[in-house]
Order: sequence, then structure tokens, then C-alpha cells
Amino acid sequence: MMDALSRKSSDKMQNAGGKMTENAFGAAAPDYRKTAKIKRETITACVVFGLTAALILSSRFVSSALGGWDLVGTVLILASFLIVVSFGQGLVILIGGLDLSIPALITLSGVLTASWIGVSGDGSWYLFPLIMAACGSVGAISGMGIVFLNIPPFIMTMATGIIVASSALGFTHGSPRGGASALLLTLMKGSVAGAPLIILFVLLFCVLAVIIQSRTSLGRRLMAIGSNAKAAVLAGIPTKSYIIMAYTVSAMSAALAGMLLVGYANGATLRMGDGYLLSSIASVVVGGSSILGGRGSYVSTIGGALLLTTLGIVISALGVPQGWRTVIEGCTILFALLLLRENIFLTFSRPKSRH
Amino acid sequence: MSRWKNYVGKFGLASTVAATALALSVGASSAEDKKFKIFLSLSYSGNSWQSEAANVVKALAATPPYDKMVEIKEVISGADPQAQIAAYESMIAEKADGIVSFPISSTALNRVIKKGCDAGVKFFMYDATVTEPCAYNISYITSGFGENTAQALVNELGGKGKIFLSRGVAGNSVDKRHTDGAMSVFKKYPGIQVVAEYYSNWDDRTTQQETAKALAAHPDVDGIWAQAGEYGAIQALMDKGTKLVPMTGENSNGFRLALANPEFQKRGLKGVSAGSPPAQSGYAFKLMMEVLTGKRKLEPQNIEYPLPWVPAADVKPCAGQKFENGCNVFPEGVVPSSFVTEIFNPTLLPELSLQSALDGKPTAGATIQALPADVVVKAGNEPGINCQKCEASKDLYKLSKVQPTVK
Repeated sequence: MMDALSRKSSDKMQNAGGKMTENAFGAAAPDYRKTAKIKRETITACVVFGLTAALILSSRFVSSALGGWDLVGTVLILASFLIVVSFGQGLVILIGGLDLSIPALITLSGVLTASWIGVSGDGSWYLFPLIMAACGSVGAISGMGIVFLNIPPFIMTMATGIIVASSALGFTHGSPRGGASALLLTLMKGSVAGAPLIILFVLLFCVLAVIIQSRTSLGRRLMAIGSNAKAAVLAGIPTKSYIIMAYTVSAMSAALAGMLLVGYANGATLRMGDGYLLSSIASVVVGGSSILGGRGSYVSTIGGALLLTTLGIVISALGVPQGWRTVIEGCTILFALLLLRENIFLTFSRPKSRH
Repeated sequence: MSRWKNYVGKFGLASTVAATALALSVGASSAEDKKFKIFLSLSYSGNSWQSEAANVVKALAATPPYDKMVEIKEVISGADPQAQIAAYESMIAEKADGIVSFPISSTALNRVIKKGCDAGVKFFMYDATVTEPCAYNISYITSGFGENTAQALVNELGGKGKIFLSRGVAGNSVDKRHTDGAMSVFKKYPGIQVVAEYYSNWDDRTTQQETAKALAAHPDVDGIWAQAGEYGAIQALMDKGTKLVPMTGENSNGFRLALANPEFQKRGLKGVSAGSPPAQSGYAFKLMMEVLTGKRKLEPQNIEYPLPWVPAADVKPCAGQKFENGCNVFPEGVVPSSFVTEIFNPTLLPELSLQSALDGKPTAGATIQALPADVVVKAGNEPGINCQKCEASKDLYKLSKVQPTVK
């Protein structure tokens, strides 16, 4: 039952960008064309990673110091927070929601990590899962509000975000105390056999996350819910608990990012999560996921996060004024999104569109 | 796409409202017949600087004899001028005696301030300024942070080298004033090459990430000129390797400790800590109280707060909770590295202790001391910053703390 459903939804996905109406009922005649054998996700991932690699290589023309392994290392470290956050945001977007509480949860986790565990608190390692659980329960509350009270995801996560951010402000009186414990510092700054520990850690995270999203029933069921929630209910998926689970995982990935940030900056600030709301949504969408849910792969999201981070570094090296920098950044993101549309050439060759 | 924007906009507004509600509930409540009704109006909160400045005012308002004379309410309106205009409006409607405030814009609030002045409200602005002439501006902004730190950096570099500029918030008048001042110095030295310029929003973490990006393109940088957030720049240098470079920045505890660290000095760190002191808010509040109680006659004007200036050699850790015996930084672990050290001023604010800045609590046993009679230093005119339709003073970017040692 489950397999049939997910195959159907993936059929729909392959055609979603193009002539969706014709194939909306899935089980049409099998498609034997060569292009149909390559999954849409694979193409997206190739495009995003290809663009990132091209950008890294061509950055040599911007500055002679760029374009080497050094740059790759910088990109990976700076992107690691975004990669972690985007996993949760991606899952929530996959079910057709959106998590606006991410910046607040990053801050909450950062503030708690810095003040509860602190500089010398390696004996209190058990607080890490406790902080995770605290943030996770905030996510679960968002999920419950959405499921049981029918509050739109935007409003619900916005509300929990405000509550969490305001309590962090009240709790700290504005100046978060404490710093990073030796464990976090080692994770962020240490290295094993020449490879920075944090890169290995994020690689491990990515592998686990990809498995969760595309190889477990959890991932497939979330995708089914995003494709068609009614169909998912009919298929016997307990949609409510899965939706709550998605928001919980999103909150926990924000919490993990908050901990990593404390290790990176050796302390917490109340604005530490600010930059990650729009950029996490952007990585997910640049990675080819549908903002309406039901379609997306985490591999491409990772590519999206890497692309956005690389872009930021290369543009900051251009030495142009801030206004132009943002213009270039916006144009490049648009260009990437255009490349991702497989029917882009059709769009341009068609004489007149309907709208 | 506009739908996203809407939602994000609402998020900001709603968080503001929530923060305001939270802040209002903190205000004093004990009832006595005739108390001065004072409002503390912040634009945004959420960094150490803003909360220290607010805490200093709250601590002073709770210090005898002001604790019996003042009813203070704190309102945080967020980074949107419209919200602060609304906040001022309601304070005027509540018949405030005085408003001590960090204004979010130097021009957008003028109309409502004029309306308040006409209704008899005294406006005392700290750090940031407004161009409305009926308000008092108490600020270090005219004291030459940009040009003095730039000259100090040029001196350390011997007049040549590649440098980064780590700026504040794009489009902000304070950031522009600092950078214009700095560029007036850098332009005199053809050997100084600005290879990267980025906006770090006066935040440690953003500074660290933006500096890391710039370092990827220019690992051979020779010096960094930074506004607040400077501790992040040091962290980015240390993430990259062992080499440190001369740099100037503002007053974070982490930066001052690093400047004085012999090991970091050996690795190449030199420089000076200067910049915006949160103590300005306390000075503004005390001035306002003296004007309100009739102890001081003072027409609305622009008042300069002296520029803190601490080169590496002058960094001195404090033993206790106060700035005593010329100490100017707290030992590691006492305060977070992003804590802004310049909260005390032995002449202007002897009533304060570390607890006042961290929690807004009065110092035990302290009473309010009068400000010295001749304390007010008039600030120079800076068009668009503290006056409208005015001429800039001729010696706008004159060096006051350091002299050129290189040609």
C-alpha cells in the first residue's frame, strides 16, 4: 500500500514542473523515454552542486586566493549551520508547512547551551539532550497547534517563535552569559588527520538525514502527506502525529545549529538565529523543493545551502558596494531557479502563454 | 513572494508588541502622589549594548533618592521607526515628564518629538541622535571614533598594507559617520589599500562570519578596522591559523582582554579599543533629572560624551565589581565576551556597579551624586546627524586622541 502510494507521488513529482494535469492521476502508461529514467531529484542535485563547483572554480578570477581547497573548507564550515537548519525546514516544507520559529529556537538553544553548560561544563554533557528535548517540545507544541487547533503553520510557528524569543530576552536580561564548553570548541575548531572535525560531523549528519528523508517510511510518509494530505489519511497514515513529528525534528535541528554556533562564536547572542530564517527557506527552494510541499530531496537542499554560502563568499570578495552585492546575489539565485526548471526552453519557445 | 514578505513583516511587528508587553510589566508600580513620569524608549533590544544601556538607566532610577521620585517605564518598540513614533505618541498622551531614548532614526521621529516638546515633554536622546532642535542629544558620535581609530591603525601598519573595513548596519547614519571619518584618514595614505568592506550589523557572530568570508579571498590581510562586533573578527583570524594582525575596534570585554594577552601580542595583535559607551544613557538620564528637578538650567542642545580610548598598553583588569583604580576590563568568566565594558564613568556615574549593568539593580548603599557643574561639553554640528540645515564644523574630522606618526 505504502509503496504504491509513494510511487504514485513520485510519478507526480517527475511531471510536476511540466504537464502536470495530464499525469495527475499517476498510473498512466509507463514512460519509456530516456529522460524519464533519470529522476528529477538527480538532475536538480547535479545542477546545484555543479553550479557550486563552477562558482568555486571561477572564483579564481575574482581573487587569486580563492578557488582552492581552502575556499572549499571555508564554505563547508560556514555552510554547516545552514545545512543543519535546512534539514528541519525542508521536512516542514515537504508537508506543505513553514517554520518561522527557527531563529528563536536557535537562540534559545544557544542561550541555554552557553549558560547551563557554559565554559567548564563538560561534566554536564547530559544537558545537551535535555536542551534538545526542550527545543523539540516547543516544536511539538507548534505541531499540535497546527494539527489540533487548525492554526495555519505560519501563524502558529510565528507565535511560538515570539514567545520563545521573548522568554530568552527575559531570561538573559539582554546579555547571555557563559561560553562554549571544551567539547563544543573541539567539535568546531579541532581536526582529525587534517580534516576539520566539524566537516566530518556535518557529513555524518547529512548521511543520516538523507537516509531519514528518502530511505525510511518517515520520510516517505511525510512526502505523501505533502503531496495530498487527504490521500495520506485514506492510505492509513496517522498524519497528525507525523506532522507534529516534522515540527519537532525542525525544532531539534535548529537546536543543534544553535549549539554549533555557540562552539563557533564561543558564546551566545540574542540575535544569533536571525540570519537563518530566510536563508533556510532559500536553500530548500533553491534545492528544487516545492514550496507547496510534496516534492524535494535533502541532497539538493544541501547543494542549495552550499551554493548560497559560496555565493556569499565570492560576492563579498568582488569589492563592489553593498547595494550591488545584494543585486548580484538576487540575480544569481533567480538564475539558479530558472536553470532548475526543466521546461524553461519550452516556456521561451512557446508563442504565448495562457496568463 | 510578497506573501512571504508580509508574513515576515508581521513577525517583526508582533515580536515587537510582545516584547513591549513584557517590558511594560517590568515597570515600577508603587504609588505615590507626585512622581516624575519617565519613559525609557528603546528601539530594538537583544544585544549586550542595548540592554546594558537600558539597565544602567533602570538602576539609576532605583537608586535613592530617585527611587522615591521617579516612576519609570521601559518600552521596546523594535527596529521600525513607525513603531517608535507610536510609542512616543502614547507616552505624550500619558503625560510623560521626560523620555530618555535610543532613537532609531535621526530624522523620522522629528515631528512627534516636536509635538511632545510643545506638550512640555523633555526628550533626552543617548548614543544615536535626532535632528529636531527641541531634543537634547547626548552622544559620543561627534567625538571622532572613525578618524582616530583609522589613524591609530595606519600608525601601527607604518602607513601601508591591505585592510578590511568591518562596518555596522548598511544605510545607518552612525555607520556612515564612522566610515566617512575613517576614510578621511585612509585616503591620505596611498599605501593603505581597502581590500574588503562588509556590513557586520554590530554583531559578534555576523562579524566573525563576514570576516571569515573576506579572509578566504584575502588571507594576506595586514590590518582590520572594525566597528562593534570586533571580537568576532579576532575569532575569525584565530579560526584561520596562528597569525593575528593589528586591528581597532569598539569596547567589548573579549577584545580588550585579547589586546592585553601577551600570547596574542606575540602573534601580531596590536591596536586600540574605542567607541560607543552604554554609559551615555546613564549620563543622559542624570542630566534629564537635574533639568526636571530644576537643579540645572540647560537649553536643548547637542552634548558630547568623551570618546573612550584604551590602547593595548592601557588595558587593566578589574579586581571587583566596579571600575576602580583605572581598571577598564573584567577578567574572563565574569562577563560574556560580547559585554561592552564602557558602562562606568567615575566622574559622571559613580553610583553604578557591574550588577547595575547586568540586571538593572541599584548598587547597595549608593546614592545619586550630582553631576559636576561644568560637565556639559557642546558637540559640533553634523548635518543630518544632530542638526538640520546647518553647516558642518570646519574641523569635522580633526584627530583628538592620536597623531600621525607616519607620512
